[in-house]
Amino acid sequence: MTDLAVQFAGVSKKYPHFTLQDVDLELSTGSIMGFVGANGAGKSTTIRILMGLIHQDSGTVEVLRHTMPAQQAAAKRDIGFVSEDMRLYGALTLAWHMNFIRSIYPQWDQLYAEKLLRRFDLKAEQKIKGLSHGQRVKAALLLALARRPRLLVLDEPTTGLDPVARREVLAELVAVLADEERTIFFSSQNTGDVEQISDQITFIDRGRIIDSANKETFLDRWRRLRLIIPSNAVLPQLPGVIEVGGSARLPVLTVNRFEPAMVAACQDAGVAVQAVDAMTLEEIFIANVQSRREGVIA
Amino acid sequence: MNTFIVTRLILKDWYLNRALLVAAIVTGLLTLAAVAAARGTTIALILGIIVLVTILIGMGAVIMSSMVNERKQQTLPFVMSLPVSYLEYTTSKVVGSLLIFSVLWLALFLGVIATILTTPWVSHGSIPFVVIMLVEILMSTCLIAAVSITTESQGWTIGVTQIGGLALNAIGFSIVRLPGIGNTIRSHTIQWSRTSILLLLIEFGAIALMIGIAFFIQSRKRDFI
Repeated sequence: MTDLAVQFAGVSKKYPHFTLQDVDLELSTGSIMGFVGANGAGKSTTIRILMGLIHQDSGTVEVLRHTMPAQQAAAKRDIGFVSEDMRLYGALTLAWHMNFIRSIYPQWDQLYAEKLLRRFDLKAEQKIKGLSHGQRVKAALLLALARRPRLLVLDEPTTGLDPVARREVLAELVAVLADEERTIFFSSQNTGDVEQISDQITFIDRGRIIDSANKETFLDRWRRLRLIIPSNAVLPQLPGVIEVGGSARLPVLTVNRFEPAMVAACQDAGVAVQAVDAMTLEEIFIANVQSRREGVIA
Repeated sequence: MNTFIVTRLILKDWYLNRALLVAAIVTGLLTLAAVAAARGTTIALILGIIVLVTILIGMGAVIMSSMVNERKQQTLPFVMSLPVSYLEYTTSKVVGSLLIFSVLWLALFLGVIATILTTPWVSHGSIPFVVIMLVEILMSTCLIAAVSITTESQGWTIGVTQIGGLALNAIGFSIVRLPGIGNTIRSHTIQWSRTSILLLLIEFGAIALMIGIAFFIQSRKRDFI
């Protein structure tokens, strides 16, 4: 049986203008999940429920075998959390923050913290209010990583970072995963970041999980077929077609259950397959969201 | 209740407020020294009282609104990422804020009493009235804490601080008219009447009630961030 670091079962949360509905989510220990959604899709609400900061109206949440939110204090001993809206104390130095966290977490790794200081080009004696946005994110990440958490929860950590800072942060996250027992739950609007480091991907839109699978499955099963339909041929019925673009003679099909047999089926029907294009995660996400909103996919 | 983490959070708030606290205590004690040095001048006494009351109410509002500030400055997610439940966080805020304010309050309380006892032109009979009014400021500060913690609103906190400041005058005028207080205020000896004891008990009871209500409301909250 797979050891689960995070498990949501039928989780719902209702607000006056937003509802998170029936969220089922499983994250295995040692894996990294990219949680992708547009603004207001429900990423932060899900993460806050995961951290025990919001009580779900219904459903159950287990994090590192702790029931949330009741056992949040025990669970958070092994969680490192960084969110886009998290700020450190501006009047205090990074060194003070490091000492503060070290005094709370017995597993704090000072050598690793110092290594991260150098890698992120941070100065411990600098006050937080003097840091740039990128440096603040890296400081928060340092404080989360050096406590050696079993689960790292990151809510849009790369938002607003310049390309260099983004690369440093992502590289460190990949390095963290060298430890197979460490798990990362990583929300982002930036599908490029998610594609780069995640091995599992979950899409959320309008408070609902709309798709969840491992990255290779996503990338393998989504394709764009560029076809040429001669006047004497008819496009055969193909499974998983969620969008038909182009023209009647030169259609472009977006499919979410691609199999090589589809190409053969087209050719058997006299339809020429001009190209089978792989899709980026961003293209997959947009096509997925649009098709769900239009009701093409139930 | 994890007392270790609660203590760490209280020490953190102590560290954040330490410079302001020292400045307030030094200013308050210097004010008392100036009042004593003025040898009973009415204007010095009035100015001294205004400065002390301003320090206590102002610092009370600053210290007690730290929960609102933590939300406003977005440091709350950082604190709540630590192994702490919301009730433990609330405990650290209530106990910590009261402890930090109590240091200032106690320093000025002792300073005021010492000034009255060591200056011959202030009647010792005024001490019960002064103690009641200082506890009233403590009570008013606890009200600010309770409102700040439960509403997490800067507007409400500022409103209650202003009402508390205005109420201080009304309460002072009302209390001094009570026979159990007014009749002994110019006496050369300290006289604790039943009225003054009762007023102190009411004030401490109100403090306990406000803290209790704040904890009760916090324990029923479902969303913390």
